[in-house]
Amino acid sequence: MTNLTTLTSQTHLNLRVSPQITRDSAEMNAVSVIPREIPRLLAHYPIFFLKSPESGRFEPVALLGFEPKENLFFNDGRWDVDYVPLQIQRYPFSLVPHVGEPGAPASLDLAIDMDSPQIVSEGGERLFTDEGTATKFLEERASMLQALVTGSTEAYAFTGRLAELGLLETVQIKVEFVDRSTKTLQGLYWIAGAALEKLTAAQLMGLRDRKYLEWMYFQMASVAQVSQLVLRKNRVISGVAR
Amino acid sequence: MSPADPIRRIVVVGGGTAGWLTAGVLAARFPNRGPDGVSVTLIESRLQPPIGVGEGTWPTIRSTLKQIGVSETDFLRECDASFKQGSKFVGWVNGTDAYYHPFTLPADYIERNLAPYWLEGPRSASFADSLCFQTRLCDHSLAPKQITTPEFAGLANYAYHLDAGKFVPFLQKHCTEKLGVTHVLDEIVEVVSHDGFIEQLRTKTGSPLPGDLFIDCSGFAALLIGKHFGVPFVSCKDTLFIDKALAVQVPYQTADAPIASVTVSTAQSAGWIWDIGLTTRRGVGYVYSSAYATEESAARELRAYIGADVSYRAININSGYRREFWVGNCVAVGLSAGFLEPLEASAIVMIELSAKSIAELLPGRRSGLAQAARIFNETFQHRWRRIVEFLKLHYTLSRRTEPFWVDNRQGVPIPDYWRQHSPWHEDFSAREEVFSAASFQYVLYGMGFQPEPTPWLLNEADRNRARDKMTETARHGESLRAVLPTNRDLLGRISKYGLQKI
Repeated sequence: MTNLTTLTSQTHLNLRVSPQITRDSAEMNAVSVIPREIPRLLAHYPIFFLKSPESGRFEPVALLGFEPKENLFFNDGRWDVDYVPLQIQRYPFSLVPHVGEPGAPASLDLAIDMDSPQIVSEGGERLFTDEGTATKFLEERASMLQALVTGSTEAYAFTGRLAELGLLETVQIKVEFVDRSTKTLQGLYWIAGAALEKLTAAQLMGLRDRKYLEWMYFQMASVAQVSQLVLRKNRVISGVAR
Repeated sequence: MSPADPIRRIVVVGGGTAGWLTAGVLAARFPNRGPDGVSVTLIESRLQPPIGVGEGTWPTIRSTLKQIGVSETDFLRECDASFKQGSKFVGWVNGTDAYYHPFTLPADYIERNLAPYWLEGPRSASFADSLCFQTRLCDHSLAPKQITTPEFAGLANYAYHLDAGKFVPFLQKHCTEKLGVTHVLDEIVEVVSHDGFIEQLRTKTGSPLPGDLFIDCSGFAALLIGKHFGVPFVSCKDTLFIDKALAVQVPYQTADAPIASVTVSTAQSAGWIWDIGLTTRRGVGYVYSSAYATEESAARELRAYIGADVSYRAININSGYRREFWVGNCVAVGLSAGFLEPLEASAIVMIELSAKSIAELLPGRRSGLAQAARIFNETFQHRWRRIVEFLKLHYTLSRRTEPFWVDNRQGVPIPDYWRQHSPWHEDFSAREEVFSAASFQYVLYGMGFQPEPTPWLLNEADRNRARDKMTETARHGESLRAVLPTNRDLLGRISKYGLQKI
């Protein structure tokens, strides 16, 4: 359950939040990512495209596991690589539409999930100083959320252009684990290499100018991380993970 | 003019649904333009506004639209179109009944005829509910797909309901801008022919329009097939009594009112009422026989159905078709070829089938036209005849007691064959039969037709298989119900985000 409450320095002056990720926010096998974090994700995560169940539009995602809720990067209460996707780092904060006067321009409020286990009574980080100004910790979270909003628009513009140029195709990833069991991942999309080769010079320049070409190659390179993900799963199967 | 003349100038006469759809299919099939290629020209009179036949289609429309290169998203948005998953017939048996004729085939349809095992009992659900998961979706106004399903793909078979008034300009734009169809707005004043072949059309303001193949899509006017060639019209009014329609547009009561998944056909005293849900409004109309109802009494029934006082548009229906459709170098498509009451929405599908046949039969040179005409005429005479038979079956299976219904059954027995045999593939010899064994099963058993039991033809293995398939059908239906959005929800998302091509 989530219990989103708009943050104010009056109400939440003494609230303490642990930056430690909990199972609540980590239990997922894929997380949507924004283009600007792709260079950092590339070192650990396979990146593919999935259709948003809300809009059917393609979004870039980092794969975290093979089964529903399976996150192979989250073990024993901690995330075991140095870069955590922003969509997970942001917990327990969200942006919610501001409820204001009718007709007022739309804006977003910073909110916190008061039911999150990351809210602690001791330790953790304060959100506000005693004077009621935002702490560095809170400012970082707020800028993460802002980056996610901008990044999501950027991601949809990116995938929209890829779809328009026929640069996405479905892919089935079939993997085999150490115990000989197999798994086929469905519903994933990746860059259609053949279509990429057929682009005109002008189309390629257009992609390059918006950094799309770079992101596309990063995605293609990241597919190699599938085998690292299989190794992680193998360690779980062999019981050496913990 | 010689038999060796190439066929490369196609002239379509008429700018309604038939004209643009046929022009689109032919232009997409023969994409080479220029002096060495094929030209497609559509001439349309400024004076003759298109009639806009039917708002219901068949699943074939998906492959037709895909072939001509239309985007499903654009089509749905611009034609106020909604998803159609079949028809629902209300009150056709005795006034209190209802059954579905869904587009998805009965379970195991390719492999085995399971209908005899449903007939055998215990019939814990209707035929369609037992062997087709789709009825569950229709019961709840659910869509046949999700926002993540690619364009033209579905989790259940579907077609569309569309606003014909918007479909025509939509097709026109696509044909002229994307497919290189030339659009001429002019009046035809003379048809110039030689030895039974049309050479050119003289127009009121422009230069003459020469051609090698002429497609008559001029509607009821039938300028070429009727007026010029004098091919007689075969009336079906002795079989299909409907000759009038009163049509209205009905707004939705609320912005979130459900959009039905099916065309609903509700039997009335002298005919039936169609009810089609688009995204923006419902299209409703009473088709009736003027021998059994006056316009006033029909209007009264229509108002009672809608529950409001409405002003309607009256339309004459002259059920029938041409004795021949292809003469020399002229083919009739659409209303000029024929028209029947819209009971199973056959108008647009017949246009698609005609356009496809022309594209496939089109000979390279004039000498091949006679053979193409012979095959086309045989095929379409068969198709029109079969549609009339199938429509009539809906009436003969009824047990309603008003004179219109009693007279409809008079001297028209249900084919004896269906008493001892359940419709199956071998009964329908023609390729691309308009109504297949599945349609006959849905209508016969939907209307409660009772064949004679022939238990000696049944066996235990198939009986078990049928039971398993029925269980599977129910399970599949329930699992889809859990994941499919309503029509309104999905159409709203499509309008906002569009569908992906893959």
